[in-house]
Amino acid sequence: MALTQLKEYLRPATLKEALTLLREGGKGARVIGGGIELVLFSPPDVTTLIDLSELSLSYIKENQAGLAIGATTTLTQIIEHQTVAQYLDGVIVGMLHQVASPLLRNLATIGGSLASANPWSDVIPLFLALDAKVTLFDGKYHSIPLSDLYPTRSHLSGSILTEVLLPVPASGTAASFHQFSRTGFDVALLNCACLVKVDAGRCTVVRIVAGGTPRLGAALPAAEETLMGMELTDETIEQVAHVARESADTRDDRRASAQYRKQLTYVGVKRCLQEIRDRLAEGEQ
Amino acid sequence: MTDAREKGFVVVGKSERKVDGIALVTGKPKFVADLDLPETLHVKILGSSHAHARIIEIDTSRAEALPCVACVLTHKNTPPARYTTAGQGYPEPSPYDTRMFDTKVRFVGDRVAAVAAETDAIALKALKLIDVHYEELPPVLSIDEALVNGAPVIHDESDATGIYDASRNTAADIDITAGDLTQGFAESDVVVETTCETQYVQHTPIEPHVTLSYLDEDGRLILRTSTQVPFHVRRIVSQVLGLPLHRIRVIKPRIGGGFGSKQEVLLEDLAGLVTLRTGRPALIELSRKEEFIAARTRHPMRIRVKLGAKRDGTLNAIEMEALSNTGAYGSHGLTVLSNVGSKTLPIYNKAQNVHFFGKAVYTSLPVAGAYRGYGATQGYFPLEVAMDELAERLKLDPIELRRRNHIRSGESSPIFEKLGEGREGVAQTIKSCELGRCIEIGAKRIGWSKKRGKRMRDGSWVHGVGMSVHMQGSGIALIDMGAATIKMNEDGSFNLLVGATDLGTGSDTILGQIAAEVLGVPLSKIIVTSSDTDVTPFDVGAYASSTTYVSGMAVQRAANKVREQIVKVAAGLLEEDEDSLALAEERVKASSGQSVTLAKVCQHAMYQSGQFQIIASASCVPEESPPPFMASFAEVAVDTETGFVKVLNYVAAVDCGVAINPKMAQGQVEGSIVNGLGYALTEEMLISSKGRVRNPSLFDYKILGSRDIPPIEVILVESYEPTGPMGAKSVGEVAINAPVPTIANAVYDAVGVRLTCTPFTPEKVLAAIDAATPGDL
Amino acid sequence: MRITLTVNEAKREVEIEPGETLLELLRREGYKGVKKGCGSGDCGACAVLLDGRAVNSCLVLAAKADGREVVTVEGLALWSKSHSRYSTGRAKGDELHPIQRAFVEEGAIQCGYCTPGMVIAAVDLLTHNSSPSEAQIREGISGNLCRCTGYVKQIEAIKTAAKRMGEGADD
Repeated sequence: MALTQLKEYLRPATLKEALTLLREGGKGARVIGGGIELVLFSPPDVTTLIDLSELSLSYIKENQAGLAIGATTTLTQIIEHQTVAQYLDGVIVGMLHQVASPLLRNLATIGGSLASANPWSDVIPLFLALDAKVTLFDGKYHSIPLSDLYPTRSHLSGSILTEVLLPVPASGTAASFHQFSRTGFDVALLNCACLVKVDAGRCTVVRIVAGGTPRLGAALPAAEETLMGMELTDETIEQVAHVARESADTRDDRRASAQYRKQLTYVGVKRCLQEIRDRLAEGEQ
Repeated sequence: MTDAREKGFVVVGKSERKVDGIALVTGKPKFVADLDLPETLHVKILGSSHAHARIIEIDTSRAEALPCVACVLTHKNTPPARYTTAGQGYPEPSPYDTRMFDTKVRFVGDRVAAVAAETDAIALKALKLIDVHYEELPPVLSIDEALVNGAPVIHDESDATGIYDASRNTAADIDITAGDLTQGFAESDVVVETTCETQYVQHTPIEPHVTLSYLDEDGRLILRTSTQVPFHVRRIVSQVLGLPLHRIRVIKPRIGGGFGSKQEVLLEDLAGLVTLRTGRPALIELSRKEEFIAARTRHPMRIRVKLGAKRDGTLNAIEMEALSNTGAYGSHGLTVLSNVGSKTLPIYNKAQNVHFFGKAVYTSLPVAGAYRGYGATQGYFPLEVAMDELAERLKLDPIELRRRNHIRSGESSPIFEKLGEGREGVAQTIKSCELGRCIEIGAKRIGWSKKRGKRMRDGSWVHGVGMSVHMQGSGIALIDMGAATIKMNEDGSFNLLVGATDLGTGSDTILGQIAAEVLGVPLSKIIVTSSDTDVTPFDVGAYASSTTYVSGMAVQRAANKVREQIVKVAAGLLEEDEDSLALAEERVKASSGQSVTLAKVCQHAMYQSGQFQIIASASCVPEESPPPFMASFAEVAVDTETGFVKVLNYVAAVDCGVAINPKMAQGQVEGSIVNGLGYALTEEMLISSKGRVRNPSLFDYKILGSRDIPPIEVILVESYEPTGPMGAKSVGEVAINAPVPTIANAVYDAVGVRLTCTPFTPEKVLAAIDAATPGDL
Repeated sequence: MRITLTVNEAKREVEIEPGETLLELLRREGYKGVKKGCGSGDCGACAVLLDGRAVNSCLVLAAKADGREVVTVEGLALWSKSHSRYSTGRAKGDELHPIQRAFVEEGAIQCGYCTPGMVIAAVDLLTHNSSPSEAQIREGISGNLCRCTGYVKQIEAIKTAAKRMGEGADD
């Protein structure tokens, strides 16, 4: 049996009710989407689970602010959604196809993926690079940049993540995601996500994020600065990738050494930027 | 007896559907744990947290006091006699170095205690209530550490037997020579030497080890267990528990894969003892973590090969030195070590000077055992890499070098006689060998001449092709034995009872096909019952690629005996000469045109006159072990920026004799190749400095999945083995030996680096590329 | 706690521990076709359809299945008849879903332990993508580990099944 101390499994009908239950449940209370993390790690102190599936938080909507995805939307639902497939040339769908397996994606929710913050997460680095925002409900709705959530996730205590918003891409923007793993059903040894906006041939917005270092995805500001204001050429890409390698804070773990991860950072960033450059060039034609 | 091949097979040689296919695809409850018995106790094992320690005191009182705990077992209340867990023929060629529960633990996860309780959860809770006081001892964490003078002695017990030299942590030692090595190398124009190392890997059958034991209505102990060796289980459990053998029945239902891990008595003794003590059924299922830590693994090895050859490429001398890490206990230690040489060296019989020697060494690490390939897999790595090195030195195409040296039909090798499984072997002359054609066909299919040496570049990826050749054996000559009983039913159907063990390999189907062929009936008229020690005759079990060749021959013989009985009755009914009668299409047919149905013949024999049960048994002890052969080819692309190796294409040309069921034979080769590719590229058990397995889960121990496999083409190049049933040999193991050396040789073609240490992870490959001299790329 | 769920079109009311998994519940209730291979979502042997989508039942809390529809391998033929557009309503006694039939015919089953989960994953794939490419098939079963077959014949079987289902016939 997974959660041996679990006493209650609750399915509130409203968000307010869910929040109340969370607060009343104290230390032993958790909200769940798919619940994968909790079943897998079975923390012994979990006594109350609050299932959010009935709160109508499974949706994907395009509005003026951007692409809004409800927290209990499964990764499969996101992959299969037409609008998502069009977002920045399918970069989100392309990334999701590399996440876990279809069986896990049918169960895993976007809210859970963002909240559990597994260091090898593929979703988080890309969503950081896309400048995603999340909405938290603590009685009121608050919108914060996804990056504010990590690494401590303190915003999540006492509140419920209800939605993630991906901004409307400005014209001249392209994004890319690469990951390196041992097999096709594996977590990343290292992953990279980049986003670049080009105005009159020069990079005016640059996001370069590396994850699985083995830490959770985080920006590489030195590399980002190197590219700002530059053109996307073979030389600049090479230079940026080199800075990424030097500045990435990689560590050893069972799967790979820090040194090797630096090389993967270099290759990943290079390939991401090459892809972005090629995509922008295509877009111009 | 007419040559079966001339007859034109009706059932044999067809890709008949597996007899258990529909039941399996509809999820019928055919596996061990699918049987629910009332009052079943759940058994959990407490494993040692130390790699090497004495148990000074063990207090189980708190565990015993927990409600719903039925019994707790430790060294204090279990039989002390030593045995081997290895499922081998008696007397087993493995040391008797294991106790059910010992006063010493020898690896992290070694048995310390066991609890039987009403539920899993309670049993696990009770484990935590067992207090163990250990005296930690220094562990031995590698082969080299084990062999150092003054190393801690892992098996210092006084009552172990069969250990070569316990004081030197040496479980087994082998040294055989043919010819004169010194002269052999002296006469050689070129000498190459290479050393390769292989890692700890685990079989990861999708169904972990599981046993359900219970007492039947007569108080006999029934073991329903996931095993490859039901008869060895019965004998060893009888021995360990002191229970007369005839009071034990072992039944193997469907099992979820074995690959050698289940050629071992791991759980049956424990489940059996719980049932004897409590009177209740007992279920033990290993968790996936326990499967990694406390089941069995492949022997990690370090093997050095030295080849001496004439300028024309003819091998003159081969030296192979193998150091094998057998882990904390010696099961299969000697025999796997023997196989490193016995299943590899004969393939290059041109070398008349051969020296094979080595040791199987104890360490304080997970226990190694039988794993498909059984030593040959490790041995082919340095052998086939060294052959490629030799080819390069001689400026010969690697294929040409194999052609000039491989064994052929009508030839022999001194190794067959000198090296068996842990003892002398059995001389034999090859009677079927299509290796030459396998090489030719495979080379063409992979596009060898177009691609070899071209190093085609595609961005940062460089392409290459590599090859290797292999043989294995078919059963163990003069040692293995399998038997079959066939009885006839009055509707013209037959029950086929075989001890042979189907682990998913489809042997029930294959053996049924052989019987059906002889008896002239469709496969559907053969009802196969296998692996029940009360009901089916003896069989050593599924290992050493013995089932088709050995058990199949027993089936063929039994079927022929039954055929004779049928013919005799039919001769009477038809008033024809027995010589003029043949069985076909469910009838007995006379050359005159008359015929009678098999059903009628049996009804007559059962009810009408001169009544008797048409039934016969037969056994087979093979007198030789005719090798299947394989030529293996792969095209790879190596990413010079990351070290990733992508296999673009894999071609396997295999001579397994006559393929009784071609699709199933292909399936065996495909499965072996993918397993071997994992061994080559991604699988590795990581061990900490305290001897603990760091990645005991499928999350972190990566076997290949559906996205990882290359296009695989398997070509069956049939030969006819006169000593085999219907001309068959075997196919269960040979292919797993290929991927490691084939990939290593392909990577060399691509990027000019010799990989000598598995797995070829991207990080390792990149490091090798970076270390290579610039000119190589 | 008490939950009600539909398993293979049969409504079941069962008493569960809040912390137990759907895998444990299903096997306890006699659905032995659902296999345990790892208990951690790594092997896929436990896959079942939950409201029409394949999931690792070892990671789904039984409580989560309250009010929902579960289909196990034992119920596939039944389910396919009532849910699919490719059901031909052919002769009774035909108890196999086209994917199951293809697995048997193509030699895609060796030990059979991974088979139920693999078939469930394939059903999910073909239900949502009626003519998948080879790459899509490989991805579709990427969460199902097999140690016996090397996946070669399983992929072939799914291709065969897709073709047959696309043609609307089971023949």
